[in-house]
Amino acid sequence: MKKLNLSYERKKGLYGYGFIGLWFIGALIFFIIPVIKSFIYSFYNVTPDIGQLVMTPAGVENYKRAFMIDPNFRVYLTEVLGQTAWQTPVIIVFSLFVAIIINQEFFGRTFARAVFFLPVIIATGPVYAIITGDLSTSGTADADQFSTMFSSNMVDQLLEFIGIYGFNDKLTEVLSTMTSDILNLVWKCGIQIIVFLSALQAIPPQAKEAAGIEGATAWEFFWKITLPYVSPMILVNLVYTIIDTFVDPSNKVMERVLQIQDDWKYGLSAAMAWSYFAIILVVVGAIFAVMNKIVYYDD
Amino acid sequence: MAEIAKKSNPISGLTDRIRPEKKPKEPKRSRKEERERFKKRLATLTPAEQKYLKRKRFIESVWPVVRALLVFGLCFVIIYPLLYMVTAAFRPRAEMNDPTIIWLSRTTTTQNIKDVIRTMDFWHTLGNTLFLNIGCSIIQVITCALTGYGFGRFKFKGKNILFGVVIFMILMPPQIILIPQYTFFRYFNPFGIYHKITGNFINLIDSPLTMYMPALTANGIKAGLFIFLFRQSFRGLPKELEDAAYLDGCSPLRTFVSVMIPNAGSTFLTVFLLSVVWYWNDYYVSTSFFTNNSTIALQLKNLDAALVRVIFNNGNIKVNARELIVWMEAGCLLAVTPILIMYVFLQKYFTEGIARSGLTGM
Repeated sequence: MKKLNLSYERKKGLYGYGFIGLWFIGALIFFIIPVIKSFIYSFYNVTPDIGQLVMTPAGVENYKRAFMIDPNFRVYLTEVLGQTAWQTPVIIVFSLFVAIIINQEFFGRTFARAVFFLPVIIATGPVYAIITGDLSTSGTADADQFSTMFSSNMVDQLLEFIGIYGFNDKLTEVLSTMTSDILNLVWKCGIQIIVFLSALQAIPPQAKEAAGIEGATAWEFFWKITLPYVSPMILVNLVYTIIDTFVDPSNKVMERVLQIQDDWKYGLSAAMAWSYFAIILVVVGAIFAVMNKIVYYDD
Repeated sequence: MAEIAKKSNPISGLTDRIRPEKKPKEPKRSRKEERERFKKRLATLTPAEQKYLKRKRFIESVWPVVRALLVFGLCFVIIYPLLYMVTAAFRPRAEMNDPTIIWLSRTTTTQNIKDVIRTMDFWHTLGNTLFLNIGCSIIQVITCALTGYGFGRFKFKGKNILFGVVIFMILMPPQIILIPQYTFFRYFNPFGIYHKITGNFINLIDSPLTMYMPALTANGIKAGLFIFLFRQSFRGLPKELEDAAYLDGCSPLRTFVSVMIPNAGSTFLTVFLLSVVWYWNDYYVSTSFFTNNSTIALQLKNLDAALVRVIFNNGNIKVNARELIVWMEAGCLLAVTPILIMYVFLQKYFTEGIARSGLTGM
């Protein structure tokens, strides 16, 4: 030890490398090299051959083909982006609302919590695909039976009930897709609810006490106390939700990429995946930039 | 966010905070007495204060009802598919065509379950899945914890860049790296010399190694997220713990094993459970690397095709789309049950660990 004569700090640093060493080797093999390779693929025409991949340079041809020629890619892309744009805020608001409710004390709270987190363990698997397919897409009678609860008619009827006829068609359409998708949304909120719940429980008791003494109503309490304290977690949940929807293997862009892969067009599929990833990065980056100015940090 | 974490000291026991504090019980008064007291108090106050109190009282009496309705409704939306799964799985297929039956069938049958068990080769598949699942999860928890500890408690050059790689692992759609990974496993070439010596490659497709090797190097399914969780939770532990161990002459590894691990127990359990769930549900990675090696998720994904092959093969049985639901729901029920049993017993740890491992203190 004396021979090497390392300072305490440097020695600790070396141990740090030791701890992450295993991961680094793995990341190199299973992540970094594949990422670089696939980036290279996106600029080549790649065809599989025995024992290797034959690559012929193609320049930006693959990217051009993805956006200009492929009939589905652009359509799916706008669809997924649009869907994420309206679903994310709804998911955030809804999970905050649920978190506030199950943070209160009432009979059966433990049960309610267990149920709300249930989607976390089921929603990522094929079971979810089957039950949502059964319930909403395959057009069976049982699907009707379920969706009547949230059907588009409900929105129309409600508007007519209030006395609004022939109201803006587009708006009712948006509303009805929102209500009919409620099943999907509730099923996507598990993690977000947990995150909000832990944030709610971290609100300092002094703040609650002060608000109580001042006579704040629940409404005021929400806007003046809850929201600022929870705002860092809104950012976390926003990013999580966006990534979760973007990376979900059942989303249409992802399916398209896989289809192309199955046709052995590795170059094209790599180009698609990379342009998709670039879009994710831009969206997440923009949200970070905007939200960081709004978020309240308690110090 | 780090500031918040520091203030709300993570190890001060989120457990206590998650559970409601029990208020000391006030002596019970009858409703009448209560009302009398309220009226007396009201009389002494200004009109504005009276209004405020009346409103508060009104809201406090109405809100529990509204809340109960909301909670019940939302729980129903979540449980509905599961209930339907159970009723459909035990329903004779002919009764799917009966419009008068919505929930309870006239007779129940276990035939669907038996059929699906045969089609999925359920017990064998279950064993195989558990072997992959539990093994990979245990390994992954250990390696991710080591990595998370390295990132959370040590200062070294290039740490930020390397942690950036971890973040990228979370952000990157797995499709991007699928093909290079596939070729890596298909033409596996240990240490780059195996091919030179023997002239061959090893084909690892269908081998459990395609799951175990990434797990062993903390690069398995969702490993980025787990490393992140561990880093957060180790960073939240007080520095004094570590210093005390060093003063007592522990090496960093020893410190990690005997001081840090016991203090981050709930994070370990949470990561393990989430890892089991994600491996259980994964069909994306396994479709790519497995063609014959089957897991429950894969079997379920291909269940309709397999049913045609195994159960309806003689052509005598004609099944319409509505009747097929019976088998599909039976398959779902079989696939969900093991994980559901685990969830029922360990439910608390799923949520507690995520909360405690300080996602809150980013």
